[in-house]
Amino acid sequence: MEDTGDELPRGVPLSGGADPLGDPFLRTRFALPGRPGTFLRRDRLVEHLGQALRTPLTLVNGSAGAGKTLLVADWAANLGQPLAWLTLDAEVEGPGMFWAHLLQALNAGGVPPPTAIDLPADATRVHHTLLSRLAWELAGRDRPVVLVVDEFDRMTDPEVARQLEFVLRHARQGLRLVLVSRTEPLLPLHRYRLTGEMTEIRDAELSFTPEEAVELLELHGLPLAVPVARALVERTRGWAAGLRLSALAARSSPDPELYLKEFEAGQGTIADFLLAEVLERQPPETQDLLLRISVLDRFCPDLADELTQRRDAATILAGLHRANAFVEDFGHGWYRLHPLFQEILRAHLRRRAPGLEPQLHRQAAHWLRRSGMLPEMLAHGAAAQDWTYMAQALVEDLAIGQLFTGLGAGEPADWFAGMDGETPDPATNLVRAAYALSRSDLDGGMTHLRRAAGQPAVDGRDSPAALLSRALLEALAGRLAGSARPGEEAIRSARELMPRLPSRLLDGHPELGALLLTHVGSSRLWAGRFDEAREALTAVTRGPRTASTVLPRLEALEHLALVDHLNGWPGAAERKVLAMTAEAQRYGLAPPWGSGLGQLVLAAVALGRDDVDRAEALLAGTPGPTSADPVVAAAARAGTARVLLARGRTSAALAVAARAVPATDVSPWAEGHAALVLAEAHLAEGRPDAAVEALREFAADQPPCTVGAARAHLAAGDPRTAVHLLDGLAAHGRSGPGVAVPAALVRAQAAALEGDPATARRLLAQALVDGRREELKRAFRSAGPWIGPFLAEPALRALAAGWLVPDPEPHGGPEQGGPGPGAPLEELSGREREVLERLARAMSTEDIAADLYVSVNTVKTHLKSVYRKLSVHRRNDAVRRARELRLL
Amino acid sequence: MQYEIRVDGLMSETLIGSFPELEHVMISGQTVLYGPLVDEAHLYGLLARFQSLGLHVTELRRLPERPK
Repeated sequence: MEDTGDELPRGVPLSGGADPLGDPFLRTRFALPGRPGTFLRRDRLVEHLGQALRTPLTLVNGSAGAGKTLLVADWAANLGQPLAWLTLDAEVEGPGMFWAHLLQALNAGGVPPPTAIDLPADATRVHHTLLSRLAWELAGRDRPVVLVVDEFDRMTDPEVARQLEFVLRHARQGLRLVLVSRTEPLLPLHRYRLTGEMTEIRDAELSFTPEEAVELLELHGLPLAVPVARALVERTRGWAAGLRLSALAARSSPDPELYLKEFEAGQGTIADFLLAEVLERQPPETQDLLLRISVLDRFCPDLADELTQRRDAATILAGLHRANAFVEDFGHGWYRLHPLFQEILRAHLRRRAPGLEPQLHRQAAHWLRRSGMLPEMLAHGAAAQDWTYMAQALVEDLAIGQLFTGLGAGEPADWFAGMDGETPDPATNLVRAAYALSRSDLDGGMTHLRRAAGQPAVDGRDSPAALLSRALLEALAGRLAGSARPGEEAIRSARELMPRLPSRLLDGHPELGALLLTHVGSSRLWAGRFDEAREALTAVTRGPRTASTVLPRLEALEHLALVDHLNGWPGAAERKVLAMTAEAQRYGLAPPWGSGLGQLVLAAVALGRDDVDRAEALLAGTPGPTSADPVVAAAARAGTARVLLARGRTSAALAVAARAVPATDVSPWAEGHAALVLAEAHLAEGRPDAAVEALREFAADQPPCTVGAARAHLAAGDPRTAVHLLDGLAAHGRSGPGVAVPAALVRAQAAALEGDPATARRLLAQALVDGRREELKRAFRSAGPWIGPFLAEPALRALAAGWLVPDPEPHGGPEQGGPGPGAPLEELSGREREVLERLARAMSTEDIAADLYVSVNTVKTHLKSVYRKLSVHRRNDAVRRARELRLL
Repeated sequence: MQYEIRVDGLMSETLIGSFPELEHVMISGQTVLYGPLVDEAHLYGLLARFQSLGLHVTELRRLPERPK
């Protein structure tokens, strides 16, 4: 099918990786931190750290400013082999983000993971297979991968520590993990210590000796006698940050040596005291800059200029970096403050300019938005409590789709959590509608959508981006409401709006179009317009394959699977669900995937193959008939009712089928399938006329219902009407074997009834050929007892052997008890099965009656019925026969 | 729950400003911060803040609740 009528205008996918938040990876996270000219290499530490190559785990543990990072960075730079480096920060939150960054670090470090492992697409979760694959792949390498994770204390999620431990264990000799942290990581360290599998460098070892302090201060241009150094080391406890600050303070004093000799922090805390000293000696512009940038985790001169509203940041930052004061260089023009100094500077900022912080956050948010750094923008926007701005940025930058695809559960809601009271503007209403709809809260979503639509835009005219965002949300709301019209309107306005938007914006947000088409496809499916649904959904699966579109692509695949299933192509449906699973695993997504529809389709396929246990197990893991998504609810309703019917629990099945799926439009197939359940129940209880009646309004245009109605007419003794109904089926050319096989069986039975066994045989043969390909066992096993004698005939039996009935004995071994060949059966009812199971346990009739709380006569009735259906006359034969047919 | 946290050195007014929820006194070269903590998460958050400011916690104890 080459029809691409629903492809939306789009551009070339972005090159390079994107993390699960859709944010271009900040190179600074993977850059080996530079060493300042005043860095002192200490051989004793380098030597100890050298053991990191021989132990799976290395822990460099020390307080803030102890010199951990520089030590490891210097060692890494001189290692002479590729090494992956990852610096964590507050935005790398949750397992999905962590593993995405870790994989990206391996890429950046020149030790890439295999291409079969894609980045996790969900920020909050990661699937276990991703971890196993990674560990397995690492274990197979010739030389171990050295991986450094700096600031590991930022990762507070215990799940990540568990996962890291798993990978480390299973990568065996393939991974050398170096964790740099202020706190002890939550790995089972005792076990590593006990087996000598850990290299450990802690605070005490990191402390400077007086001799080392002399060398360090010499690098700062401060010659010092050892006794003076000893006193200094005592006062600073050999703390690297303390020594560095005292050198800076000394250098800016008139007599550095005297300063160092006499410097007493008094009784003040060292870092605070020294930093205040150093800060005060800076020119006012530098002080101002340092205080303002303390609200940023990283910055470039341009961003710093934004906060100071001056143009001197490049010069000041370069100067500070040259002087090794506060500023660390990440390369690529990005810097950060030493975390310790950042905290203290921020305390100074609060004191000197109370109330300035929110404004700085707002300015940072503006700059970050212009630079396309969405998560950082939201973090600063929330810190400034500037909800309107955040919402407007999300809408105008077309990022609203990311609330559904990339940002993971909970996180975006938290950003707006501090907001209370009325929502003042259309953009905020749109964002709040998006949050509500992402939680399937249709009423809340509609309330905000209506408010947004009723509000005039700030400048009197809605922007194309705002209109497109609204179209997306309207389409989703329409889908959840079971109404096709909003989706069609949305796609019409999208076609009109997209050419009016800059292609840079559209190309950067492929998830927007993918989501819109998925919602439209789902709405069309609900309305029973399968071909048009397929067009929209296929456009999604053929669209850009990026991490940001993986969720809509999975949903599109499972909807396509449902279309296949409803059209009677179980094999194709199953393949689509498997493709979806593979895709989900590639991106490291944790199940459940998609909306649960895929699993419902698999359950339906299993039921068609008469594997009721599997169908039941699959159903257990789905949202069920109460899902907020009408398509899912209807598929779950049909699946659950059919499994209950298969178990002989007719009244329970009817109760499920009668449950309404709230929706604006009527879905023909959803109603048709509910009616089919009702009709089957009537048939099972011997009321064919009622079955005909149940299907009357659906028989004309729902192929499965046509077949069901034909079957009911046949049971009512009217083969002519049955065949006549089926003749009309030819008009529906695209029905697959899932419909054609049961239809052929009805025709065959009609032919047999009318005394035309030749035609019956021919039809049955064709049904067996078609049914075998799709393993449609259930259609044959529930066809009724008439089929038995036909299948006993050698020609037909050959077609059924191996899949429908057991293979014949290779050497024609005697079939004991003469129950005839393994003919398929009229289905045993649930109660009959229960009786049969107890029979197999050699229970007496009386025991069975007691066990089932029924009378002995009832058990005897069931037994007779079982014997009849199994074509046997004795209990032993019944049990053996049931085993042959795998009923037991 | 009332807690008392002792920190090495005399904290400057600026640094103390980072702990607006706590009262403080200076005793013999130490800063003693005390006050009601909301819950355990608050406690760990406080400890992380001390650490990130380069402060050394020398003692931490829970004070008996004052009878109402």
